[in-house]
Formats: sequence, structure tokens, C-alpha cells
Amino acid sequence: MASRHVLIYGAGAIGRGYLPWVFHPDDYRFTFVESDPRIRGLLNQQGSYSTFMVVDGEYRELRVPVDGCLAPGEELGESLRPDVIATAVGPRNFLSLREALGKAQAPVICCENDSSLPGQMRAMTGNRDIYFAVPDVITSSTAPEELLRVDPLSIVTESGVCYVEDGAGPLVLNGLLVSAEEMRSQWAAKLYIHNTPHCIAAYLGDVAGVKFVHEAMERTEIAGIVEGAMKEVAAAAQVKHGLDADFVSFYRDKELARFRNTLLFDPVSRVAREPFRKLAPNERLLGAAQMCLTAGVQPDQLLLGIMAAFTFSRDGDPDAHIALLRRSLDPRDFLSTILRLREGESLFNLLLERWESNLSRLEAIR
Amino acid sequence: MKDMEFALETAIRAATAAGRELSARYDLKFRVEQKESLRDIVVDADRAAEQRAVEVVQASGLPAAILSEEMGYVGDPDSELRWIIDALDGTVNYVSHVPFFSVSVALMERDEPIVGAVYAPIPNDLYFAGRGIGAFKNDHRISVVDQPLGSSLLAAAFSGKGSSPDSRASEFQLFQAVNDASRGCLRTGSAALNLAYMAEGRLNGCWGRGNKVWDVAAGLAISGAAGAVVRSRFRSDRRDLVDYSVGTPSNTSELQSLIDEYFGGELTGHVDVD
Repeated sequence: MASRHVLIYGAGAIGRGYLPWVFHPDDYRFTFVESDPRIRGLLNQQGSYSTFMVVDGEYRELRVPVDGCLAPGEELGESLRPDVIATAVGPRNFLSLREALGKAQAPVICCENDSSLPGQMRAMTGNRDIYFAVPDVITSSTAPEELLRVDPLSIVTESGVCYVEDGAGPLVLNGLLVSAEEMRSQWAAKLYIHNTPHCIAAYLGDVAGVKFVHEAMERTEIAGIVEGAMKEVAAAAQVKHGLDADFVSFYRDKELARFRNTLLFDPVSRVAREPFRKLAPNERLLGAAQMCLTAGVQPDQLLLGIMAAFTFSRDGDPDAHIALLRRSLDPRDFLSTILRLREGESLFNLLLERWESNLSRLEAIR
Repeated sequence: MKDMEFALETAIRAATAAGRELSARYDLKFRVEQKESLRDIVVDADRAAEQRAVEVVQASGLPAAILSEEMGYVGDPDSELRWIIDALDGTVNYVSHVPFFSVSVALMERDEPIVGAVYAPIPNDLYFAGRGIGAFKNDHRISVVDQPLGSSLLAAAFSGKGSSPDSRASEFQLFQAVNDASRGCLRTGSAALNLAYMAEGRLNGCWGRGNKVWDVAAGLAISGAAGAVVRSRFRSDRRDLVDYSVGTPSNTSELQSLIDEYFGGELTGHVDVD
């Protein structure tokens, strides 16, 4: 019988799929807070679900009993008293947890893809007990049909490592508590050697019309661009973040194998979602390209990946208007008004110079 | 929806094309012509920008008449669809190098603005909205920030030609009343930008009397799509003068009560494009 209790905000890919492998059901009882009424209804109706970890080419199942799944805000009226709180709601939604995390009486593990967020939340709430975590893992938001038929909440994850900022206390978890310095290296590697090529694979997959990332990586021309972009950004990260060459080489090989994993069924729509967030100045696309330019690396394949992000069009995505804006605006205006690049700066000039030729290359993939 | 997206793309293209003309001429010397009043003026940049915007909407091929500030009507004024263009809203600011001016392009279906784009060239900000699409600033979705009147910052746009002295006095009395009942009431010189600021929560309310439709049509579309409570009505048969109040759920009743106190309960229409 689990003696501890974890409250998880977000029952999506990381929250539902990966965190139960970190906070194991042998040790923890699980309560979720989730905005999607379908997932909430199923979790409460079923009372448990299965997450599958891909290990040695096979699925390993973990059945997760669930105390309950609440709508956002409902948890404030409950006397839950969790031993630990974890969040995986997406970077854009994290700060909306301000009221809840301000009142938290347990350590908060922030599994969001933005290293600035824990500090922002600490400043907003005065709660110092908030820690950044890097789940170094790819977790799908879904599962193959045969698993979904048995349990519609089935979800698939890789085996990975969860790096947690030191200070989170003596939690029982399958994660690594690491120093601030180690966390900076892990985050740089995750942001640039994982996130950058991963989303480029998804954007190119969207251009090619495939559903899953591994299907995109089966296309030779897409795999070539993804590997090229990964090399460019890894070389720059090595220079700018002092990453060890062997570590970078190991990380690159590991990531390429992940992207090609045919058992993950990682949807292109999930990895490519919210392109404007990924195109923010310090993020994985334009931020990575700026890093390349300042490190003396020419980001040729990366620029092609960025152009693929510009063309992303998916009904229902919060940033679906990116396609409308790219169609409406002169490239110069798109880059300066929408992406806030300064006219005349190197990245602005490079993107503009290659606008048509990169669009043509993407057309060839389509 | 696809037609709506195409109309919105056209409005965005027209607004930014006109904005480029304004930016290119911003540091040049202006030849200013006065029109109906001391603050109703036109400059070369205004006409050049309008020409660009009109070319863009004409090239779209949409079966709509065009009403623009300097050219007047192109096409049938009774057309069901009308492009409404003000290539330079805030001309006095522009010639004085006060960077609070904008381009405003809207598509109206009968009396309802269904698409709007407001572009402010100096901060390089684009506001846009379409019915069923939502309201946006640059890359992100925007929505009004709900505030009670006492915590609201508002903006007013005064009428131009045609105001009787009594009416003008009432406008100033209303301005004072709104100013004293809130954190303040601004008079900025660009009604279109007032409404765009309202849509993103910088302002919490706007009102205007006898404003030209080209000044406010796009802004009404954008603020409505951003969740504002919009009341408006055309004042003339030509459908070119508009009275309006735009508030948030928490301040709209109080704002409307003040307007009613000075002008009677005239604003009964409701525009909400989303």
C-alpha cells in the first residue's frame, strides 16, 4: 500500500505517461488535476490506467491506480495534503497555477519545458519550494490502436531519466537530484540537442503529411535535415555552453535513436504544437539559430527547419494562425512584426535571403 | 471560415502595406492640408497609404464596396459587403511625430464589422480579428481585461464636424464624469488604437460620439472578438458616423449609465464578431 501522495497537474504525456515511473505507484497514491473533460471523466470512471515503457524493443506495463482527477481549481477546495506536487501542464499554462502553487505545502517539481518558469513562479508566489526538473525522455500523448482498445487511457513512454534541481528534499522517486551546474548542462542539451531537432522532425513530418515522428524519420531527406540541424546546434551548444564533446556525441546518437523509435507513436501534432512558443527569441528554433550565429556555426539545415515551422498549419492548435499570417504578410513583415527580428540583423537577413529557396525545398518534401 | 480567413488575410495585407508607406515617409517633411476642422488634416503620406490599401483590397476580388477616408465610396454604398479603410488614423499625431497612429482596415457585412486589422507602424504591432477566428496581437491571442469602472483606464474619441455646441459641451461633461469615476479617461487621437488597446487589456473601456466609421470599424471588430461588450449605432443614413461604447462585463453598465446621463439611452445595438 502506497504511503505517500503525489498531486500531478496535467494528465497529458509527461504527467500521465512518465511521472508514474518516477513517483512509483508502490510508493505513491496519485491525484491528477486536468482541464480536458474527456481524460478527467475516463480517469475517474476507470480509477486506474496503464502506461507502457518501451524497454529493449518491448512494452513494459505499469498499472496506475488513481485516487481521483479534478478540474482545475477544484483541488483548492479539497484537503489533499500531498507529499509532493508535480506539474506538467505546458509552459504556457504553468503560470496560471499561481494561486494553487502559492498555497502549496509540499515541494513542487516543475516538469515544464522552460527553465525560467520555476524562478518566475517563486517570485510571483513567494514559495521557494519550487524546483525545475528535466524529464530526459520522449513520451507520446497516445498509444497504438491495440493498446487503446484495451484501455483508452493507454500511453507510451521511453525509459528515461528525470533530472531534478537539488534541494527538492528526500523524496522517494526514480529521479536524479543534480547540482545547479549539472542542471544547466542537462537543460542546454535537452533544449538544443533534443528539443530543436525533435520539433524540426515534427514540422517536416507535417510538411510530408505523416502522422508520427518515427514515420517522418523514415524519409531519407527529412532524416538528413534533422541530423544536419542537430549537428549544427550541437556544435554551437558545445561552444556556448561548454558541453563536453563525448557527452554531445552520446546525446546526439541517443536522440536520433529516440526519434526513430517505432514503438513510441509520438504524434507530429503533439511535438509541433504551439509553433510561436518554439519560435520565441530564446527558444529552440530562433534561439538556437542565434546561438549558432554567435558561435560561428552556419545554421543551414536549422533554417530549413525553421521555415517548416512557419508553414505549420493544424486546426485546433493554439497557434494555428501562423499559417494565416505567413500567407498574409510580406516575409519582411512576418519576420519583423510577428517574430520581432530586427531588420538588418544576421538571422533576419539569412531567413529572408533563403525564403524562396527553402520554401522550394519544402515543396519537394511535400 | 475559409472565406473569413481570406478576408482577414486581405485586411492584414492592406493594413501592413499602408503602414509601410507611413513608415517610409515618417521622417520626411509633410505638406499638410486642413479639411473640416483644425484637427482634421491630410498629408501626402495619408493618400499614398490609402492608395496602397485600396489596391490590395481591390486585388482580393471580394465583391465589396470600398469606403475610405480620403476617396469616399468606391462602388455601391448599399452593398452588403463594404471595406472600410482609414490609412492614417491619428494624422495630427503623425505630423507631430507623436507615435500614436495606425492603419485601420475592416470588412463590414451590412452594419456589422466581421473582420478587422489595425496596424501601428512605430511600435510595429498588428492587431487583427475575424468572426469565428478570434482576436490577436502579432503572434498571440488577446482578450480584454475585466475591471470595475473604478479600476479602469478608458479612452474617448470626440466627434468631428457636425457637433452642435450643446452636444460638444455634453461630450466634455461626459469626459469629465468618466475621468472622475475611473483611473482616467484619455483622448489619444487614434480611436482605432484605443479599441485595439482595449482588446489586449491595456485599456478597459472606450467610448465615442459621432466618430467616422473608418476610424472605428476595425477596432470594434477586434475588441468584440476579444470579449468586450460592444454597443454601437450608426448616426446617419450614409452609415458613416458611429456612436459607441465598449466595456468589459464589470464596467459596461456603469459606463453606459454615465453615457445615458448626458446623451440619453441611444446606444442599443450590440456588435460581437466572435
